Amino acid sequence: MLARIAQELFWLGRDLTRAEHTARMLDGAFHADVADAPGERVLTLSWDGVLAIIGAKPPAPGESSLEPLARPATKRRSAPLPSAGTRRSEVAGLLTLDPDTPGSIVACVTRARERGRTLRDVISTEMWEALNAFYLALGGYDLRGALETGPYSVYQGVKERCALFWGLVDRTMLRDEGRSFLEAGGRIEEADMVLRMLRVAVPTESPEGGHEGEALALLRAVGGLQAYRRAVRQAPTLDRVARFVLYDRSYPSSVASSVESLCAALSTADVQPRSSPPVLRLGRLLADLELQRRTGDESGALDDTLVRVQGELELVDRDINNRYFAIAALAAVHL
Amino acid sequence: MAESQLIEDYPVPAGSCDELLGDNATPRPHAAALIATLRRLGAEALREAGKRRDTIFMQQGITFEVAGIDGERRDRPFPLDLIPRILTAAEWTTIKRGLAQRIRALNAFVDDVYHAHEIVRAGIVPWSLVVSRPSFARPVHGVRAPGGVYCHVSGCDLVRDGDGRWRVLEDNVPTPSGISYVIENRLAMTRLMPELFAGHRVRGVDHYPSLLLDALRAVAPAADPHPTVVLWTPGPHNPVYFEHAFLARQMGVELVEASDLVVRDAVCYMRTTAGLQRVHAIYRRLDDDFIDPLEFRPDSLLGVPGLVRAYRAGTVAIANAIGTGVADDKAIYHYVPEMIRFYLEEEPILDNVPTYLLGDDRVRKQVLGRLHELVVKPTSESGGKGVFIGPHASAAEREHQARLIECQPDRFIAQELVHLSTAPTETGDGQLAPRHVDLRPFAVFGDEIRIVPGGLTRVALREGSMIVNSSQGGGSKDTWVLDDGTAADLAPGTLPARRPPRLPDVRYGGWQGQAQQQQQQRADGH
Repeated sequence: MLARIAQELFWLGRDLTRAEHTARMLDGAFHADVADAPGERVLTLSWDGVLAIIGAKPPAPGESSLEPLARPATKRRSAPLPSAGTRRSEVAGLLTLDPDTPGSIVACVTRARERGRTLRDVISTEMWEALNAFYLALGGYDLRGALETGPYSVYQGVKERCALFWGLVDRTMLRDEGRSFLEAGGRIEEADMVLRMLRVAVPTESPEGGHEGEALALLRAVGGLQAYRRAVRQAPTLDRVARFVLYDRSYPSSVASSVESLCAALSTADVQPRSSPPVLRLGRLLADLELQRRTGDESGALDDTLVRVQGELELVDRDINNRYFAIAALAAVHL
Repeated sequence: MAESQLIEDYPVPAGSCDELLGDNATPRPHAAALIATLRRLGAEALREAGKRRDTIFMQQGITFEVAGIDGERRDRPFPLDLIPRILTAAEWTTIKRGLAQRIRALNAFVDDVYHAHEIVRAGIVPWSLVVSRPSFARPVHGVRAPGGVYCHVSGCDLVRDGDGRWRVLEDNVPTPSGISYVIENRLAMTRLMPELFAGHRVRGVDHYPSLLLDALRAVAPAADPHPTVVLWTPGPHNPVYFEHAFLARQMGVELVEASDLVVRDAVCYMRTTAGLQRVHAIYRRLDDDFIDPLEFRPDSLLGVPGLVRAYRAGTVAIANAIGTGVADDKAIYHYVPEMIRFYLEEEPILDNVPTYLLGDDRVRKQVLGRLHELVVKPTSESGGKGVFIGPHASAAEREHQARLIECQPDRFIAQELVHLSTAPTETGDGQLAPRHVDLRPFAVFGDEIRIVPGGLTRVALREGSMIVNSSQGGGSKDTWVLDDGTAADLAPGTLPARRPPRLPDVRYGGWQGQAQQQQQQRADGH
């Protein structure tokens, strides 16, 4: 298939997954915000945590947009925290509505729809209609007002639309190379988002620290509360939850599960998977994760593991670019 | 009663011919059933269907961009009128034969112009006129297209004059658009107004993509029985990108942009995830000028350097062939009836609209004297740009046009005004009013010429207007060709009905869940 088309599909998957996970994360943050009784310790996964997750620094008063931090933002929690009330509308607004914030839900969906328009001959008609309806629905009513009164229903809507799209992919899209790239994009983004949340939620100093509220907030933010309860059946501590979300392949949003699907998708798409750098790298990463889960590394290096896995995924992303899309990029340079 | 007034209040226009209704709003025989259904449905049902239509089209993204009053471009649902236009089988047969004849002659003309110049030597078309056309392509002089076919795809514009005769208004040979709307319109009509189809046998239109794919495969220069065909679009910002994507999807071929194609050693390839892949046939949806910066416009960013070299080497087929545009020029149009007589030794089945070339002093003087009755068109434009309509023009506009003609007589042609036929059209409030329509049937030339029954009926939605272009407030209608059972076209619907086989081993019941089965048994008293 055309390299340009493959790249568009890959990014379509990434955009939609980004929108979905942003919605889940914000929904979790809203919940934590409401549940957080005054006087108690401020949860890590609150509004500033959310900003750290998307890798932005909070805007100074009067500043309109977010700026990316030079370094990935795990060490930022010592910054003074303003009151949650002002943060809420500001951060939620930026990450949901602002078309200029690259990771905001509206921006992601707009981009996804534009890609869908370019890809109309590749994706099924129903998939395109789902995308288009999603985009029209976001522009169709007073989103800001809805966000003020009932953020839950806004994020619920986003999650449902995304689920509809992926469901249609399952039911209507040909299982060809294009679909593999679409899924690959979705899964690499999912792994990346979950890792970001884990890195912000898991404290670097004392891995055993953190109270149950934090663990619950993390589970809500990745949308895995029910899955955890059924799979682990132990009181959620931050450590257990983090291991569950990182290693447990039976949980579909876990990092291990995403890496596994990503590897499978690329092996299907590649003409020679046995000599493909991204597939080989992913295979090693998968084996590493499995090993760590089985041997139960008690060294307390959970946060190091997170950093390493995310680094590996960045390299995988680069490999994917070089192996499949570079020929399209070459053309752009050539012009 | 509102229902009965829907038809009775319809003002049948004087001077034009109406497609569905005759004098005193009596339905024409072939439209009687349709009119009866409309009368029964009434204005309210039409209004409701109109609302549903807009919602569905927006959702499906069947839109085109128009510039609003404030200059901002926005998506509008493609304006499909709810009342179909009907052609009888006999009428269609005439149109089909006439078009096939015309396309054969145009194809022969293009071949001739780039090779033997026979028609020039016979003194029928002046050589100076041919070479001065902007669409005359020097780089392909002497190049014979694979299979000898140049006009693979065409969509001539036909109109019905006041006397009921069909005439050809324009030959859109290079890249006619609209076929996707033909197919989408039919689909939408079966969903929006299924009642209207009752009592009619309408010929299908959705086989166009397979016709096109077959034609492209037929001309592809390849020993390989499965040549690679691609559709080349200028990109998503093209106003008819929807159609490009639609056709690519329906044909199951790759939709490529210039950056996806590359020519190495006079062979065309596309860039895929697994390296370069040879391309055998290209259906291109952009003009000659842009396709190769080495041979045509050097500033074209949409082109593929070296493509003409590959074409000359015969390793790739391009549809329509490079240089075909010369047959589409409005000044050449005048000569098409002569071409038919010259190349095919037949009399034209479809007439031209009487056309005057303004290079001749005597003709020009006559034309300038009758400017208030005539239509003047620039020769190398399309899309209704720069068209001057005498009867609608003010004195100042006439003066201006006359001066333009005096300065550059070769740049314009004059035509008699055609009183386009009208058809009942829903005006947005559930009422019907006559609006002018034309017809653009789509033909495909591979091994032979195949024409999809009907075509795109474009309708001028403004009252009295005769400009049907969608960029200037035109809409479209679903076009029905009735099937009288004698059709020579092998449409899928004409196969004899087959009874489904009996399958006695397939159980009728018994696949419910256990609990339901038990309940059932209990209810049955077992």
